[in-house]
Amino acid sequence: MARDDARAPVTGKTRLQAAWGSNTGDEVEDIGMAALPKTGEIFNQDYKPWTGTLNPRWMRNWAILRHHLFGVFRKGYRPWGMPTRIFLVIVFIASLTDAALTLLSGILGSPELHQLWGVNRNNLYGHNLGFFPRNILYYPIVTALLVGGVISEDRHHGTSALYFSRPISRFDYTAMKFISVALIQSLIILGSYILFYFSEIIAMGRGWAWIVDTFPIFVAGLIAGILLIFTYTSLGLAMSSISRGRFFPGIGLLAFLFGSKTIAAIISGLFERDILYLLSPYDCLAHVGQALVGTQLSYTQYSWTWSLVSLVLMNGAALYVLASRVSSMEVTRE
Amino acid sequence: MNSEFVIQTQDLSKAYGTHVALEKLNIQIPYGATGLLGQNGAGKSTFLKTILGLIQISSGEGQVLGYDVRTQGELIRSHVGYMPEYDALNPGMDGIHQVKYSGELLGMNPIVAMQRAHETLQFVGIGEQRYREIESYSTGMKQATKLACAIIHDPKLVIADEPSNGLDAYSREFMVNTLRLMVKEGERSVMMASHLMEDVERVCDNIVLLHKGKLAAQGKIEDLKAIDKEIEIHVWGKATQLEERLLSDGFKVRREGRVMRITQDSDSIATEILQAAADVGSQIRRLHEYEASLEDLFVAIMENLGYNVKSSDDLLGNPIAARRVDAPEELKEG
Repeated sequence: MARDDARAPVTGKTRLQAAWGSNTGDEVEDIGMAALPKTGEIFNQDYKPWTGTLNPRWMRNWAILRHHLFGVFRKGYRPWGMPTRIFLVIVFIASLTDAALTLLSGILGSPELHQLWGVNRNNLYGHNLGFFPRNILYYPIVTALLVGGVISEDRHHGTSALYFSRPISRFDYTAMKFISVALIQSLIILGSYILFYFSEIIAMGRGWAWIVDTFPIFVAGLIAGILLIFTYTSLGLAMSSISRGRFFPGIGLLAFLFGSKTIAAIISGLFERDILYLLSPYDCLAHVGQALVGTQLSYTQYSWTWSLVSLVLMNGAALYVLASRVSSMEVTRE
Repeated sequence: MNSEFVIQTQDLSKAYGTHVALEKLNIQIPYGATGLLGQNGAGKSTFLKTILGLIQISSGEGQVLGYDVRTQGELIRSHVGYMPEYDALNPGMDGIHQVKYSGELLGMNPIVAMQRAHETLQFVGIGEQRYREIESYSTGMKQATKLACAIIHDPKLVIADEPSNGLDAYSREFMVNTLRLMVKEGERSVMMASHLMEDVERVCDNIVLLHKGKLAAQGKIEDLKAIDKEIEIHVWGKATQLEERLLSDGFKVRREGRVMRITQDSDSIATEILQAAADVGSQIRRLHEYEASLEDLFVAIMENLGYNVKSSDDLLGNPIAARRVDAPEELKEG
């Protein structure tokens, strides 16, 4: 036995046995030593009970939200891919262009620059719903990257079992995933929108009168932005829920957003029929947003309520698909 | 609720349309370790989902830890730890944060969840590997991590679905020992669904056997096996005479060629057999106790009866292929 081995664990047991041991002295020494751990072995498998209490539903939901949200910034939470994180940063910086130029116009005292970039009805609308570059290069791609694996990867990796074997309902699971993705988009889209508005107040020294005048427009733009985030998220998560991979939901969302708009544009150009814009989520969002903010309407021949109804139907269909697919997610087998 | 049982069902049935997945199950599972056995499609997964309160049962009743499976699914899942058969881990996360997240999904405070994650990962033998990303884990480490996720809140009942599936000999041994330790030292109940009878036999005291959605057998493994304790003898010559003699002496004999199995109902049976052999002039070349293994029981049920087993006499009603021996021509009478 390795009593004299320098690597042997220092337990003191041998010495105690020698001093106080109740052995008769007839035993083979090795037998007495057999209970000691082997040299260098420190692993001792003990079951440790836990007597704490579990927090209620809100804490579980907060855990899901935190897992997804903090994963963008820190390790130890949901591992968003590095390209996704980089793209989010790029889009956030790019989305602040108007805020930066507003500050610049204030610093330079250039009314021309301010007229072009400063806060007004068109620019507030454009920040959230302008087509180029924001709704072709920025926000749809951000959504596509975010929704890509949010539910489909739970199917793929089997992590749905991690949720549904816990006291988490399907509704809570879906709702928290939805809110998580929407919140990350909100930080970029609405965060930069709010910074844009406040940059005007700071740069131009706007007073309460201006704020009272423009605040309804600001709120209308905010609502339009929320509608945009909600619609993109519900369409994207519906795609994610019917897939097992990350690629299809992302590319599917982009195909639907851009494809429907392209088809509507082609039909409009060829046959002078604009009604197909109702199939395009972006066109409907733009139409409703224009009506809310009070800018010039793209489709004067149709009421904006048509677009709103179309959006409600699109979101309803997407949420139905999402709910039915999540409800069919397995726990024991996927 | 009878506190003697960890799981109890009364005429529990589940049907998907016309397909009956579980039919009038009357199961009483006592505290301790229980094996859930059954062929593919026997209804094991449906049963697990039912007792986790994830699917609505069609008729009957069921209680897990005293909670109603119909109405208290969330409470059941708070007090039960579920270890899925399939991968249920995010490969991009490290082990420690994955287990911590599984605790947070139960409502644990993040700090407490982290502390428990360390304890449970230590218990399942992951050690310092806990900081590695899960995608770099071996199958055994993934299984251990899933177990850590299941026991982070020290549940009263752990449901382990194929815990030793795909493991090498060492990892399998460790997993089986860990589960046994939880039962013996932690005084927790374990329900283990597995196809590896040897592992079930080593961990569990009881079994529940499902076949085509029906209860095939339940009870203590020892009880099931004890009924079938037999003496197996290999006879050289005059086997027929010996068989007739034993039958006339009131023994229950099953014979396949030169191999006979005599039901063991007294301590002096060996002497009596030898005496009978001496009287008829037959040689006993081999005499030993034959105890059906769990696998024998399982195969016999599946092949011969399927369900509605009354006793294990029924299970072993058909002759089991017995070992044949080459005897000298002059002794080949029987």
